[in-house]
Amino acid sequence: MNKKYALFTYILLFLPYSFLCLLIVTHSAQAKEHEIRYRLKWLFNTSVAGDIYANKAGYFAAQGLQVNIKEGSPEKNAINELELGRAEFGVASADQVIRALDKGARLVVLAQIFQVNPMQWIYRDDQPEIKTLNDLQGKTIGITFGGNDETIMRTLLTKAGIKEKEVKLSGVRFDFMPFFRRQVEVWPVYRNSQGVILQDKLTKEGEAVRFFNPAEFGVNFVANSIITSEEMLKEQPQVVEKFLTALLQGWEAAMNQENETKVLAAVKALDKNTDARIMQKQLASTRGLVLAEAEAKKIGAIDMPAWQQTEAIMLQAGQIKRAVQVEKYLQVR
Amino acid sequence: MLVRRFVRRIAQFLIVYGIGLAGLLGLKYVLALSDYVVPDISLILETAKEVIADYIPAVFSTLSVTILGQVISIILAFSVGIAGRKSSWLGSFIRVTAYNIQAYPIVALAPIIFILLGDGFISRLLIASMICYFPLLLSVLGVMAAPVRDIEHFYRATGRMTWQLEVKIRAFENLSKLTTVISGSATLAMAGTIVAEFVAANAGIGYSIRTALYQSDLAKIFVALFLIGIIISVYQGLLETVGTWIIQKTSTEASSHE
Repeated sequence: MNKKYALFTYILLFLPYSFLCLLIVTHSAQAKEHEIRYRLKWLFNTSVAGDIYANKAGYFAAQGLQVNIKEGSPEKNAINELELGRAEFGVASADQVIRALDKGARLVVLAQIFQVNPMQWIYRDDQPEIKTLNDLQGKTIGITFGGNDETIMRTLLTKAGIKEKEVKLSGVRFDFMPFFRRQVEVWPVYRNSQGVILQDKLTKEGEAVRFFNPAEFGVNFVANSIITSEEMLKEQPQVVEKFLTALLQGWEAAMNQENETKVLAAVKALDKNTDARIMQKQLASTRGLVLAEAEAKKIGAIDMPAWQQTEAIMLQAGQIKRAVQVEKYLQVR
Repeated sequence: MLVRRFVRRIAQFLIVYGIGLAGLLGLKYVLALSDYVVPDISLILETAKEVIADYIPAVFSTLSVTILGQVISIILAFSVGIAGRKSSWLGSFIRVTAYNIQAYPIVALAPIIFILLGDGFISRLLIASMICYFPLLLSVLGVMAAPVRDIEHFYRATGRMTWQLEVKIRAFENLSKLTTVISGSATLAMAGTIVAEFVAANAGIGYSIRTALYQSDLAKIFVALFLIGIIISVYQGLLETVGTWIIQKTSTEASSHE
């Protein structure tokens, strides 16, 4: 009787897990025929204007592709989705890519949309301007503990020879109150999204702001990139080529000022909560980050030295255990 | 007896944790997933070695807030439950308010609490108490609002009934239910504290999980979950032991009075 009871208990315990595994396996295989799934890193907003516009303006369709663009979040990670077979393409930040390579993920980087990392810091105009890294000394600096802004800031401080006790690092969240109340002087933002919103709010209060861009101080930490799996590149190179061509055409068109109205309308259809005026400013800011150094590079160009620097920074910070030689995984066109 | 209870609880947790982990590892090997998506055992162990020194104080920090939050919840739930036990307008008002507030998801309230109280200890305590408080309150209200007719009738008929006596009778008659609810609420208090740390704190194991999530480091999350499981098993075991002791003691006292 006891044995029967024990067996019944084990079955009860294992059943939900078996069911879950079955769900995951079957869900991974589910996809509409010919549909390409593209997982973004974050929610629909102006920073992904090119992705949205590539779909809306028919660039994917022109290549014979039906693309389902999906929003992302910290939990909806594109790298996981690629491995689990739930997406064919995705957007991941350079640190995510390098971490994944360190842990044996088989993926490749196809393009780098932002030539300048939008991850920057905002501070008020009435504060002394940060002209050299030493000007950070004594400041209360916001960082997201565990986020890539923490890595960037720590690299900057090390570069300047500033010890941690010589600044005050303050953990930040989604709430800007500590910055508004001046409890934190230098606040991390995505320049083309939160940066625009904060600048707008403070301008209304009669306060001007400045941005502190790490790249201007020699720290080029790469931001988001377009990725796919090694398997996809090997087995369906034509689909990869078509997808990338359409995506980059979409970005090029979206960054063209002549198309601004149409691009904003496409983004607005998916991001209903953002004010149209703010969106316009965000698009202008995004343009500056994507088209930087455009004379020398094409949209989506992979900045190899920046990737190598990003890897070196992460290795030095102990975020990866070995050198992954990221250049081997970059599909430079 | 006490040790055996703890060992049994921990063993039960280890079985559940082991099954969960085995399921994920099975998935990892079936789908050929990298260590980035699901870390293998060696990576989990290696990560555990690296982070254990930070995670143990973090989980104890969480436990301390959990205990304090639970104590506050118990005091509040009993105070409000006793006040709201009457089928008066006030009693009904308290019950309806409790139901309505419980309907708000704490993750929606947490940012507001964070804005008002900052990302420190008080926010963690408040959120832990809130998550733990409402289910406790509803149980206490259920117990306190249900008369024990036979016994209460005797005291009412003899004119010796006071509100304190009424509360004592109802609590005594439902002691087993109340101790079970209190020990069960430890899980809620722990979950509340972790949510609070995840959303609005700079300390505790919930905060460590959030940081690990930013780095997509599932191995760290496994280590954190393991420690949370162990600590909550021990704490619940302790509460159950205290509950059993209280029931035995009150039963003995009642028998000696007879």
